[in-house]
Amino acid sequence: MKVPRGRLDKSRVVTDPRDTLADVLDRELTGYAVFESQETLLLDGEGRGLITFTDGVPVLVYHTGTDRGGPPALADLAIPGPYHVSIYALDAANLESAHEAADLRVPPGMPAERLGGDPALADSTRRAASDERLRTTDSDESSAEGGATEQSAVEAFLDDAEKIEAIKQQARSEAHERAQQWEF
Amino acid sequence: MVEVFAVASGKGGTGKTTSTVALGMALADRYDVTVVDADTGMANLLFHAGLSDAETTLHDVLADDAPVEAATYDRFGLTVVPCGTSLDGFRDANPDRLRDVVATLAEETDIILLDSPPALDSRTAVLPIVLADRIVVVLQPTIPAISDGLKVQEYATTYDTDVAGLLFNKVRASESIERVSEKTERYFDGPTLASVPESERAREARRAGRPLLAHAPECEAATAYRAAAEALTVQNGAADDAADRFRSAVIPESL
Ligand SMILES: Nc1ncnc2c1ncn2[C@@H]1O[C@H](COP(=O)(O)OP(=O)(O)OP(=O)(O)O)[C@@H](O)[C@H]1O
Ligand SMILES: [Mg+2]
Repeated sequence: MKVPRGRLDKSRVVTDPRDTLADVLDRELTGYAVFESQETLLLDGEGRGLITFTDGVPVLVYHTGTDRGGPPALADLAIPGPYHVSIYALDAANLESAHEAADLRVPPGMPAERLGGDPALADSTRRAASDERLRTTDSDESSAEGGATEQSAVEAFLDDAEKIEAIKQQARSEAHERAQQWEF
Repeated sequence: MVEVFAVASGKGGTGKTTSTVALGMALADRYDVTVVDADTGMANLLFHAGLSDAETTLHDVLADDAPVEAATYDRFGLTVVPCGTSLDGFRDANPDRLRDVVATLAEETDIILLDSPPALDSRTAVLPIVLADRIVVVLQPTIPAISDGLKVQEYATTYDTDVAGLLFNKVRASESIERVSEKTERYFDGPTLASVPESERAREARRAGRPLLAHAPECEAATAYRAAAEALTVQNGAADDAADRFRSAVIPESL
């Protein structure tokens, strides 16, 4: 995926990607955010996730570690934080050609659901999305069926025993390390 | 006779504070319950319990400016230890004193619920989990909330704190929670205590500065919290060693 380099807007460590998505929506930012998990030991923890936005609403998702795009890239990104996040601003015209990559698209509310874990933020993102976006994304995002889609994403996550074991192991080794650092 | 629970989630906004107060009120039918706002950096339990004008709070106790008794309030059938919200109060507080606070409270009550901060990124944030006997993990049926909940569980068990159970909160009608909760339980050391629906009553209660179980005791969410309390088997330790237990709560030697 090719996106022109934008103007760096913010760069920091966040514990919850929800906050980034809420901030970008709030400021109606056009551009992209690069997420880099600090959990390097994790499966798929390598690589970065990229989300583009038009007026604060997510358009494309791509993961450099797995080379996957769209909803599967969100699954690759959905591991516990903290993340290092850099936000870049761009003019809408500069994103036009990148945004033609239909296979990388996600429904507007999906990052807030799957990465932010905040269905209410997903609702407000959908409200902010242009009618055209809502028409052209899978109809399954409108609320009742959207709930079912999100539920199956949660179930798919829970069926991935290997990934969950990796999350647990990472947490255990982190807890051991910190215990010494914090002198409990 | 006391058992200390940390109500924890890793992820922010899952409903830890709401759940701490609601579980506390539901348990108060059978036990003497004390709830403590252990989220000393972003305290807000006081706003849930009608104590926004409390003069002495946990901050004063942690700063060694007041005894614990001065910061305890009897509200809604509970003993409540609220925490202040000012930055200065947080700065002057010595988080390590929480051990002594818990040890002192333990002499007088059956159950202590510690409303815990989101995130596990500092000593202060993790201390309630270290001090507790068991944790209640508050989850939403979303990928990030469940994976952060797993992380909290692994921290807790590494520090010798067990899992009492899971509480799914803000469950939407469109989600059939049974399958998700059944699959989630495979990875956690405790059962699902209840699924609490997303509820306008919960938001109203927060705005009114009253606990959910006082504001709308008959609503579905309140009923779910009572079921959770019912499902929780309390294992109070022996009375006389309670104080020592918390004063000496440390990470197990095996680390
Ligand atoms: N079952 C529910 N239905 C709807 N809203 C809820 C429910 N439970 C909690 N809330 C609302 O969600 C918001 C966050 O709740 P709460 O403060 O209890 O979460 P928390 O996990 O303690 O948050 P933090 O991580 O910031 O400490 C509040 O506005 C609360 O009223
Ligand atoms: Mg809270």
